[in-house]
Amino acid sequence: MIVRPAQATDTPALLALAQRAGPGFTSLPASEERLAHRVRWAQRSFAEQVERADADYLFVLEDDDQRVVGISALKGAVGLREPWYNYRVGVTATSAPQLGIQRQLSTLFLSNEMTGQSEVCSLFLRHDQRHGHNGRLLSLSRLLFVAEFAHLFGDKLIAELRGSADEQGCSPFWDSLGRHFFKTDFQHADHLSAMGNKPFIAELMPRQPVYSCLLSDQAQAVIGKAHPQAEPALKILSAEGFAHKGYIDIFDAGPVIEAQVSKIRTVRDSQPLTLNIGTPDEEAPLWLLHNRRLESCRITAAPGRLMGNSLVVDRLTAKRLQLQPGNSVRAVPLLAKVKAI
Amino acid sequence: MLVLRPVEPADLTPLQQLAHDSLIGVTSLPDDRDRLRQKIADSCASFCADVTRPGPENYSFVLEDQATGHLLGCSEIIATTGFYEPFYSLRNREFTSASRELNIEHGVQALSLCHDLGGQTLLRGFHVNAAWARTPGAELLSRARLLFIGTHAQRFADGVIAEIVGYSDEQGNSPFWDALGKHFFDLPYPEAERLCGLESRRFLADLMPQYPIYVPMLPQPAQACIGRVHPDAQEAFDILQREGFETNNYVDLFDAGPTLYARTVHIRSIYQCVRSNARLDTAIDARGRYLVCNDDLADFRAIIAELDWRADQPVGLDLRMLEALRVNEGDAVWVIAL
Repeated sequence: MIVRPAQATDTPALLALAQRAGPGFTSLPASEERLAHRVRWAQRSFAEQVERADADYLFVLEDDDQRVVGISALKGAVGLREPWYNYRVGVTATSAPQLGIQRQLSTLFLSNEMTGQSEVCSLFLRHDQRHGHNGRLLSLSRLLFVAEFAHLFGDKLIAELRGSADEQGCSPFWDSLGRHFFKTDFQHADHLSAMGNKPFIAELMPRQPVYSCLLSDQAQAVIGKAHPQAEPALKILSAEGFAHKGYIDIFDAGPVIEAQVSKIRTVRDSQPLTLNIGTPDEEAPLWLLHNRRLESCRITAAPGRLMGNSLVVDRLTAKRLQLQPGNSVRAVPLLAKVKAI
Repeated sequence: MLVLRPVEPADLTPLQQLAHDSLIGVTSLPDDRDRLRQKIADSCASFCADVTRPGPENYSFVLEDQATGHLLGCSEIIATTGFYEPFYSLRNREFTSASRELNIEHGVQALSLCHDLGGQTLLRGFHVNAAWARTPGAELLSRARLLFIGTHAQRFADGVIAEIVGYSDEQGNSPFWDALGKHFFDLPYPEAERLCGLESRRFLADLMPQYPIYVPMLPQPAQACIGRVHPDAQEAFDILQREGFETNNYVDLFDAGPTLYARTVHIRSIYQCVRSNARLDTAIDARGRYLVCNDDLADFRAIIAELDWRADQPVGLDLRMLEALRVNEGDAVWVIAL
């Protein structure tokens, strides 16, 4: 398996993936035209022909038979072209000492806090490939890419995780809040959002803070809760140092998790090493490896034996990375070390 | 005969009974002897004060059955709202939710805390014994205040408002309060209304929602309360509406009862009442029913009288009427059809 930039010839495969992903996966709309457009934009991003505000690095996960089985993406910056909105879950405190009343009311404050930060998004892995370390490779490869090309990204990486929705795709949070301002159901709003209209929908939302206690009980219960399908992504990113610091999606209240780039494990622990070809022993740990190239970026996971400043991997791994012995590789252990208790 | 007059210190005990019987939402009538004693004292001082422009005065009236000496109701005027403390209301306005790109524009109702109704004259504290509801006595109790405002115009503002008690059920539950106020005050509705009558309203400011409340987010029963009149307050509402008062975009913070507003000079009893002179008439051939009041301040009196009165003529009143109004033949009186 390798992770590489998406290219024009991937469009049919991406469309098939989008159709498998279904309507809940809004950042990957099953529209050939939109996908083709996104791939073109990604190619220009990898070629450094676009500004950070517009950069959209789209990666595919490809097996050794050159079949595309997964996708993930990295946006240079959010909110630099259109306002990017989140709610911050805060508190309004009041008191009337003479009556002995103190109240702390959960309150949603509209915020553009994430403006200019980079976003990891659009991760989808075919169901039949959800085994081994494929999910981890697909997700973490973006972080290793950021480690190599930090100047192309913001100080923070964020991820908006899909919020709770019922089996019909209805979001209790949307039903209790957004619906009143947009006057349409969640699926329709979600669809428009997927078509790039999210900032316009956001404009319809109230500017003023919203008291959480006035939302339905169901809506209050899902604030900051990730959809069960987003749990694996949450788990992987949490282990990397991403944390939920109170920001949520304004439509479905899914958590926005964030991390300082320099503190992300993959970024912090990764290092440039010299690639050597050999036979890593059977006990050799798994490494996440990047060929340190931008346009012809290749990232894979493989066992490797660290010897001084060089990393010994097998021939196939070097081939997957399009590297020769003696080339430099950026490497980090694929798995976060479990701290001894 | 029923006579409306300013409240007096001796009225304390019967006034407390009226306060006890009044609706929960009539916060200006707390069932609290000390507060009522203070209210009476303030009112007496206001009637005696030399006033050239509206200030903090409150004028409290009682409706007395002269035959029995019983008090049948009470009502009140506050010369200026918000004089010492901000006067809070909820403004019910549409805010526009629009997106040019999506070609969408629609209104969403939102309730915002405001002091917009400060500086007006306020009618409040209206309560009439249930046996006298929907009788001319109730009309006298409410409208005599308007005659008083009209005949002492320098004491009152250019606009008059009245807060009408909003809906609550027989157990005293207000669906509006339960959906909104309860979250912010952590009190049951009757307790909040009671405190409002007793305490400084400062606590309102401390606890109230400072951000708009979007109406569609409230449960249906609460939404239905916005501007809804308590069944027992319907009469108070109807009387003022006939006087030319209109509902506006303001509702009560606690129960969402409507606010009525009229420009003072546009109030029917004020612009239609006629100044005339009293004349003793021992055999009145009554042709219609009228509200009649004297021209006094501290000795203000108003009655309902069956009269044979023609415009530009002195008003023929019998001896009992003259006594009730505390006027002599030739004194000025004001008259308006009931």
